Amino acid sequence: MRDPETIAAIDAALQAALDKSAYLADDTKKEIRICAGTACHASGRVALREAAEAALAKRGLTDTVRIVETGCHGFCQQGPIVVIRPQGIFYPRLKPEDIDEIVETSVVGDGVVERLLYRHPQTGETIALEKDIPFYALQKRIVLSLNGKVDPFSIDDYLAHGGYSALAKVLKQADPLAVIEEIERSGLRGRGGAGFPTGRKWRSCRANPGEKHYIICNADEGDPGAFMDRSVLEGNPHSVVEGMIIAAYAIGADNGPVEGYVYVRHEYPFAVQRLRRALEQARERGLLGKNILNSGFDFDIRINQGAGAFVCGESTALTLSIEGQRGMPRGKHIRTVAHGLWGQPTNLNNVETYASVPWIINNGADAFAAIGTATSKGTKIFSLTGKVANGGLIEVPMGATLREVIFGIGGGMLPGRHFKAVQLGGPSGGCLPASLLDEPIDFESLVAAGSMMGSGGMVVVDDTTCMVDFAKFFLRFTAEESCGKCVPCRVGTTRMLEILERISAGEASLEEVDLLERLAQEVVEGSLCALGGSAPNPVLSTLRYFRDEVLAHVVDRRCPARVCRPLIQYTIDQNACTGCRACVAVCPSGAISGERKQPHTIDTSLCIKCDACRQACRYDAVRVETGILEPAGRAAAGGRRK
Amino acid sequence: MTTRDRRKGSALHEVIKDIDFERRELLGKEKGVGLLELVKDEQGEYRCYTCTLCERTCPVDCIQIDYCPEFPEEPFDAEAARKAALATLPGESCGAASACVMGEKPAQFVPEVDLKRLDPVIAGIRSGSGLVEALHATQEAYGYLPRVALEAIAEEMRLPLSRIYGVASFYSQFRLRPVGKYVIDVCMGTACHVAGAPLVVEAFSQELEIPVGGTTPDGLFTLQTVNCVGACALAPVVRIGNEETYGRMGPSEARRLVRKLRKQEAAK
Repeated sequence: MRDPETIAAIDAALQAALDKSAYLADDTKKEIRICAGTACHASGRVALREAAEAALAKRGLTDTVRIVETGCHGFCQQGPIVVIRPQGIFYPRLKPEDIDEIVETSVVGDGVVERLLYRHPQTGETIALEKDIPFYALQKRIVLSLNGKVDPFSIDDYLAHGGYSALAKVLKQADPLAVIEEIERSGLRGRGGAGFPTGRKWRSCRANPGEKHYIICNADEGDPGAFMDRSVLEGNPHSVVEGMIIAAYAIGADNGPVEGYVYVRHEYPFAVQRLRRALEQARERGLLGKNILNSGFDFDIRINQGAGAFVCGESTALTLSIEGQRGMPRGKHIRTVAHGLWGQPTNLNNVETYASVPWIINNGADAFAAIGTATSKGTKIFSLTGKVANGGLIEVPMGATLREVIFGIGGGMLPGRHFKAVQLGGPSGGCLPASLLDEPIDFESLVAAGSMMGSGGMVVVDDTTCMVDFAKFFLRFTAEESCGKCVPCRVGTTRMLEILERISAGEASLEEVDLLERLAQEVVEGSLCALGGSAPNPVLSTLRYFRDEVLAHVVDRRCPARVCRPLIQYTIDQNACTGCRACVAVCPSGAISGERKQPHTIDTSLCIKCDACRQACRYDAVRVETGILEPAGRAAAGGRRK
Repeated sequence: MTTRDRRKGSALHEVIKDIDFERRELLGKEKGVGLLELVKDEQGEYRCYTCTLCERTCPVDCIQIDYCPEFPEEPFDAEAARKAALATLPGESCGAASACVMGEKPAQFVPEVDLKRLDPVIAGIRSGSGLVEALHATQEAYGYLPRVALEAIAEEMRLPLSRIYGVASFYSQFRLRPVGKYVIDVCMGTACHVAGAPLVVEAFSQELEIPVGGTTPDGLFTLQTVNCVGACALAPVVRIGNEETYGRMGPSEARRLVRKLRKQEAAK
């Protein structure tokens, strides 16, 4: 502990930062919280805000009722979302014209607008309060606890909710090793995918000598279908900043100068803008920069934008990218904690890891370690997407089963569809079938099942998705994103992709399926970094759990999900077609003909299989057939088909 | 009464005569009869495409769709439609049976490069910004990375141009060619892929007659794919510029969007 005078000075500095706030937390005041996440933004939240402002102005409430534009509420499928506080009434899928009624009933009065409430998809009952909706009720929100409560542009909100108190606690304690010990005891593991124990990383970074120590936050969330980091940065950027300052203190205090970087994707303009604002505000209030909170500790953070290279999520590639070079990973026999950015010891953690740190410091390592399984502690954020009824951003304790997440929080499949697989870990992960739904979500069990935790993308697919096509999608992604340094990764993924393309065209032989499996193994063994080392995972897991579907393409030459173009054909059901001409209107190649009010036909030589007619048909008369090619006798026997 | 132009490829004109006005007399005005009117969209085109659904489902049989003598319907000529469609195909070399123009080089569209706009970038380099940051700033100024600008950066940073080019071509966000006024980013994230994004890209490519990564000869549109914009709940997602995001797109919506933007531009 420091001497009482310094402690008093730190307390005074935090109080001074609070005193500058225009806003004080008051749980009794009425508030209109509009979600300003990317999905809600795209669904029209700007118009909602304008409507809300007009409705308040009309009643002369502009000064008494606050409109807060918050970060992502998580329930993106139901956007745009508005929550009325303090009651916590949840209004999904709003239109600007509904706002006036809500202001009248729920803000001026205390009632609810029944017709606008969320309806339970199965029972049809209306649910008024946010906390009662199954999507939220089944989650455990630690990192996301302030998302949807604070205005990401305002440090006042964050301070009012106890923000930066963890930092003050650490600075008052003045024992960097105690901080590291606390993090080690909490069992926090890196949330970026590999799951390396955070406390151990900090300790070894601190132990490595250097002119300067670097603290880097990896916000280069490249996995397609994952948006956890972006939502944290957009919804509560200060939690990441606070976590980084604590890490900097633990690693750099009495250990030479420290400097911070946030490496964030250029595709996330909102996140960059909000983070930039957060850093400015933290500097203004004396929470960042020189002499943080009068403690004598100096630390500042710079933002560095990526430029659309997936491989730059890898730590050595990321540091090279900050240095202004091509992001090509190097061998990790010397780790970045010893030799990282500009050759100095560098600590690199994911956004979510840093955002968990303030909670651990405030609530204690034991509280964090009490959540989760024996080896995986705490909670994990997932972006639940794909063909699931309630998609969005969710946070669950480690050890929850996939079934609880997909069918409990996610509300199961869309009507009339059947669960086929869930893909975890993005291009490095794998697809798990229905038989593994009761698997707990933790680092070890997912790897044993042939998938991985990854950064937290969870894509659910149903029977309309072809697993060969799905594997092809991921492999095309990694083949394109391979930096080209290791030949097995650069050439191997391309060759694997070619085999997959032949499979989906019904041209491959059974030998080629074996070759694909062998090649996958070689790519894993012959690549330096995690990108190449895990690129064949989607293919391997598909061959492991969905071999039947792959063989259907090879032997029967049919695509059971009716996706692979060379194996399908569009036809019109002559009994169902009413001759409404809706398909003729959308067909881009003029392939559909027929008299008005008479059943139409598709000329398959002109059809480009664009699916527009099927989507336009209101009578479900456009059918997709497969099995049009004769089974591959010769190909199955081993000969190559021309 | 209106006609609705069909797309090129099938020269079919259809005519609608909307409401049977004789029934108005029979039922009286108080029931709102005769108030039905065809709606036009923002561009003044009728939204009705004579699908005859209303005629068949009307419970009181008050809608009658008929042919208009002024606009005789041309019989559907399958042979002519086929010829017209085949004429838009790229030829034998491509192999894909689609009406895209892959492999065809679009005419180059090269705007003037004003080096004055590079001054803030050079100032940034002098105050310590890295190469990637400098390239971002350059792209913000010009919309792409002109060669002269890269040469100026190379000189300022005392690095060989090849090094700058190596970095610029490594990252997929950097463009070495000018882009159109509307940069169409089709999200190819996992959620968008399973929701049908490849069909959307193809529809854009055909409607704009450019391959992915290309720019239309009039400098209006550039078509690109991005890995994930993180709006997976709205899949498939299309982003135009950095502001407008369109969710739940399909091939037909894509074509309609292009036509709408083209019309907007033509009106200017």
